[in-house]
Amino acid sequence: MNDVTNSKLKKLKQYAFDKDSTLKFIEFLMQKTEVIAPQNKGQASYSYEIVKDAKDVVLDYPRTIQPLKKFFLPPVEDLLAFDLNANTYQEEKIEAKDKIFFGIHNYELEGIKRLDYSFKKGNPESNYLTRREKSMFIGISYEPDSYHFSESVGIPADKIDGFCLFFDKISNKSDYMVFVVDENGQKLIDSFGKVNEVKSKAEITAKKFQNKVKLHYNRIPQVFDHVYKSKVWDKVAERCVGCGTCNLLCATCYCFDVRDEIEINAKDGKRTRFWDGCMLNTFAEVAGGENFREKLNQRTRHRLYRKFKYITDHSGELHCIGCGRCSKYCPADISIVEIINSLIDDYTTQQKKN
Amino acid sequence: MSKPKVAFFDFTGCEGCQLNKLNFENELLDLLELVDIVEFREAMDDKAEEYDIAFIEGSISSPSCVERIHDIRRRSKILVALGQCAVSGGINAIKNLHPMDEVQETVYGKDKYLFPSIPAQPVSAIVKVDYEVRGCPMSAPEYLHVFKSLVLGRKPEVIDHSVCVECKLRENECVLDKGMFCLGPITRGGCGAICPTNGQYCIGCRGPVSNINKNGAVEMLKKHGFSVNEALKRMKMFSANELDKKIEWGR
Repeated sequence: MNDVTNSKLKKLKQYAFDKDSTLKFIEFLMQKTEVIAPQNKGQASYSYEIVKDAKDVVLDYPRTIQPLKKFFLPPVEDLLAFDLNANTYQEEKIEAKDKIFFGIHNYELEGIKRLDYSFKKGNPESNYLTRREKSMFIGISYEPDSYHFSESVGIPADKIDGFCLFFDKISNKSDYMVFVVDENGQKLIDSFGKVNEVKSKAEITAKKFQNKVKLHYNRIPQVFDHVYKSKVWDKVAERCVGCGTCNLLCATCYCFDVRDEIEINAKDGKRTRFWDGCMLNTFAEVAGGENFREKLNQRTRHRLYRKFKYITDHSGELHCIGCGRCSKYCPADISIVEIINSLIDDYTTQQKKN
Repeated sequence: MSKPKVAFFDFTGCEGCQLNKLNFENELLDLLELVDIVEFREAMDDKAEEYDIAFIEGSISSPSCVERIHDIRRRSKILVALGQCAVSGGINAIKNLHPMDEVQETVYGKDKYLFPSIPAQPVSAIVKVDYEVRGCPMSAPEYLHVFKSLVLGRKPEVIDHSVCVECKLRENECVLDKGMFCLGPITRGGCGAICPTNGQYCIGCRGPVSNINKNGAVEMLKKHGFSVNEALKRMKMFSANELDKKIEWGR
């Protein structure tokens, strides 16, 4: 934990929540507005869903399948409807709606911050930005599993800015210490009313990450200055099958493709956009059939450079949040941390030689 | 403007793809507004001399098929392979993995000489194919997309991403996480991941993505507990012609 965050944390008001008051608090939020929170999905997975019953909310979860971006940049989205005979079109109306996201891990909110950067820059992406308005986030702490490596990309357990409230689990109990991060959070607590302020100032529990990058995160972009021609890319490409899972589930990947589909009446049609990814075959294909990144080693390299170098040079931040989705869901068991660490080894060897 | 003349032909296959087309109860009448169907054995008796669009179902697996497909090609402006048998040889091509004599003997016994047979080939091995609709049976939405595009004079989109992409778009729980086997990572999408979405796993009926990493695929299946032989067998079920060329991989 660094000192700046630490001293800031000490100034935050804190409230004690037990299991029952947490449940009641979710119900209280549901009366106010739409609440979105992690819930069970399938046999052993989780996803963010609109809460219908506060009891469905799962507070102890490693990660959801799709990242939070699905609410701001839906996987499949109609952009406009057109009429070929009349030669007219109608854009889909997007309205800003109040939403509270409950039980969000801190890396996930960092992912949204990265997307905000990407979508505000240049031509602002209005559909995303409209959906993004009026969203409030209530964070929760998590126990890192073997895939999480957020700390290695500069998101330690106590990074909670951007949330209005943060629920820190008190070890081995279903009780939480709730930190009030901003005035919206304070308003929620005040109108909820049922909890007491705690005067002894606790800190956010530090977490032990098993999965680690060998170098400090500030130095990762530097490594990427030297490994463009590394053999590591070929090694990874031997195992990669190019399924694109890592792209589609990435919290900061924002690429999409757009397609027009005409109805069977040959008159009406729709323009739809959907998530795309640089690991996929047609992504870098241009008219005439030329493909700028035909091979999987070029694609993996591009994917990682997009996370640790290209956008980082502009924004000053890594565009990987350490959620571990790309590695957890990779059918070929490729670990992004292993790739980075091999690149670091390569870099270190180079440095020793020169 | 007269409506485009469309014909459907079947070669070696179960005719499931043709039957599938008759199942579009909601769209069938609208489709008929757009085109004249001039030949369709599964549904009618008429015959025509020339076609704007010919849809071919089934693989080419006998000498007479070869003659017939040449003839159809000559009379068609656009030719579309429909379903996995026509696109790659499909499940028929499993026979190509065994000696021809043995295969004929098993099926026809002592009468095998009455039924000349050749290795099951995709339509594209004999004549030029303009577009493909993959799947066993062919995917209905993809067929409609190709059909509409051609009738409206557009180039259909060719899908060349994995089934995984479509599972991820739907946020399906990963089949591999449920402890099942799945060929989704290396199989071409376009089906909307219909099998994993409905509790099954992907058996690869649409054939592999165009740049398939064969070694990587075998390694992946080995990680999920399959022997090399089992992995190869599973991968070749629908794609013997596409995958059998380099039998050494993974060994």
